[in-house]
Amino acid sequence: MIGLLYVAPALALVAVFFAIPLGMTIWMSLHDWPLMGQKRWVGFANYERMWGDSGFWGALSFTGTYTVAVTIGLLGLGMILALMVERPGRATAFYRTAYFLPVVIGFASASLLWAWLSNVDSGLFSPLMQNLGLTERRVNINADYGLAFWSVNVMVVWKMVGFFMVILMSGLQSIPRDYLEAARIDGAGALQRFRFITMPLVRRPFALALILCVSGSMLAFDQFYIILNGGPQNSTITAVYWIFNESFVSFRLGYGAALSVVLLGILLVLSAIQLRLLRDREDGS
Amino acid sequence: MSHNRLIGGLLLATVALPAPVMAETFSLWVRADGSNFMPQIVEAFNAQSEHSAELQIVPTAELVQKYAIASAGGSAPDALSLDLIYTPAFGAAGQLRDLTEFAQDLDYFDSLSPAHLSVGTVEDRIYGLPFSADSSVLIWNKDLYREAGLDPDVAPTTWAEIREHAEAIDALGEETYGFYFSGACGGCNIFTFMPMVWASGGELFSSDGSEARFDSPQMREGVEFYRAMVEDGLVPAGSQTDGGINFFAAFANGNIGITPSGAFAIGALNTQYPDLDYGVSYLPGKDGAWSSFAGGDNFVVSAATDDDKMPAIEAFIEFAYSLEGQRLLAAGGALPVRSDIAEEALEGLDPRYILAADAMTNGRTPFSPVFNDLINSANGPWITTLNRAFYGTADEVGETLAQGEAEMQSIIDDAN
Repeated sequence: MIGLLYVAPALALVAVFFAIPLGMTIWMSLHDWPLMGQKRWVGFANYERMWGDSGFWGALSFTGTYTVAVTIGLLGLGMILALMVERPGRATAFYRTAYFLPVVIGFASASLLWAWLSNVDSGLFSPLMQNLGLTERRVNINADYGLAFWSVNVMVVWKMVGFFMVILMSGLQSIPRDYLEAARIDGAGALQRFRFITMPLVRRPFALALILCVSGSMLAFDQFYIILNGGPQNSTITAVYWIFNESFVSFRLGYGAALSVVLLGILLVLSAIQLRLLRDREDGS
Repeated sequence: MSHNRLIGGLLLATVALPAPVMAETFSLWVRADGSNFMPQIVEAFNAQSEHSAELQIVPTAELVQKYAIASAGGSAPDALSLDLIYTPAFGAAGQLRDLTEFAQDLDYFDSLSPAHLSVGTVEDRIYGLPFSADSSVLIWNKDLYREAGLDPDVAPTTWAEIREHAEAIDALGEETYGFYFSGACGGCNIFTFMPMVWASGGELFSSDGSEARFDSPQMREGVEFYRAMVEDGLVPAGSQTDGGINFFAAFANGNIGITPSGAFAIGALNTQYPDLDYGVSYLPGKDGAWSSFAGGDNFVVSAATDDDKMPAIEAFIEFAYSLEGQRLLAAGGALPVRSDIAEEALEGLDPRYILAADAMTNGRTPFSPVFNDLINSANGPWITTLNRAFYGTADEVGETLAQGEAEMQSIIDDAN
């Protein structure tokens, strides 16, 4: 009884900020619930409608592509940076700070900054590339799907890589030096030491970084909304962007809620798969 | 003796005084676009009325969502100045109070902006009253006209003339362009591009809004007119991805010859860019004639508003419709909504406002309860289709428009 009392505040927090909103979302998803006006019970009609909603599946597939691309960029570069700044050395603190600095910028502000930098008429990138002779004339980065896609990826990597660097760095630092020294004495090269000592031992923090990165990217919205407005030709609309449009542009809150529930389910499955793939061997497998 | 008279006088005064009016305070929202005139009107009203209004300014893009959330939570404002194109959707959702009787009792009811009233009326009941107006017009840079050897006081009156002038100005130099429009902004193009098609005889919807008429010969010609200017480099490359951020700023920079814009630009240019010499004219059709989009705000009252507050709200509306109210509106960069005193209200202001006010009287507002979905959404069929057509090739225009029309129609059908 007393124990229940002690956890009551935590339970209350979970209830207020997780369980109740989740329950509300599921409840809403079973209604035709306009932003204004009367709601109406429709059962699973919203979920049925979703099967034929090619826009949502297109958005989901774009989100998947983006997640793969940006995750490789973030974790790859994050690992390289972590290896570079892991051991104390001259100016290490400076580099750590420099790489981490963009993380503290909000996504919206970073996107606005990028929107300006990539503006073809008054920005930086297009005129710069033209003046350097890389392109013959000014190229409108945001008007071409490929360029726009990679431009946003670069922005996100620039902004978020410091965060993953810190997670991976803490993992690297917790590896006892003896292991690496022993391997070195046995004649293992740098690459072998990385492959057979570092990689397996950094597994846990890597799993954490991967799950954070994948779930964060699956929920991407701000950058595509602010920099590209989902363009060119609606080719960069993410799943959350689609849900936002359904809910607040088309005023169909109920349908938006149904899409959110499905997205939540997809995220849960993805996280479970990742945890399974990356769990420690000694936990049995 | 004198004592008695005093008492008698006091008694008389008590009897003669009308029953005291309960002073009421009502809450009022306005979108950020109205922040140039609404605070002044509210301040003047509060200073001279026993009632008072409490003003809150809401970011333009968030007004609908904020209102809906406040309304669901029982804390909707008593009244708001609402972008007029949303009045049908709000009215149809049962959010608004019927103002028909009050409106029809106004002496000057017949001179209130017809475009505002047409979208403010749902099934013969009036839910929205004209509050502020903004019409679309064509503006041109007189300095660049002089440099290019064109007559700075003569505006283009056909599409061919726009094209001709734009070419002359574009030839001035690398960083100078003939024409500008925000090619990824739905709201901007319904406001400025559509009137040029209207003036040429085209339509976007059937009169009851149930059918999309996107793929018409006039629309094809209008799209081709813009598309050819883009192809020939008369328009800066940034227009393709401009979702409205540069709608005003591009022309204000001073390197654009001609741009379709709105009456709001007159006030903004005068205060922020006093050195820019520009002219204001009508948005022409292909071979002459002209049209305009009648935009602005309707004044609406929430359905849940207390009856006790109505006298205060009505007093505020009447004050806004007085000459003083209309003058404050005009001084803040919006157009008056009462045509009978519009000229008086604009007296002493920039004469270019007169033309914009005239454009307003013949302005049109398309009616659709799904306007947001179709037109304003950055991902809706209107702007997605136009963007593809404006920046594509000539032989694709027809097919693109036909596809856009089908998409529009399916959204309209879905909503019914």
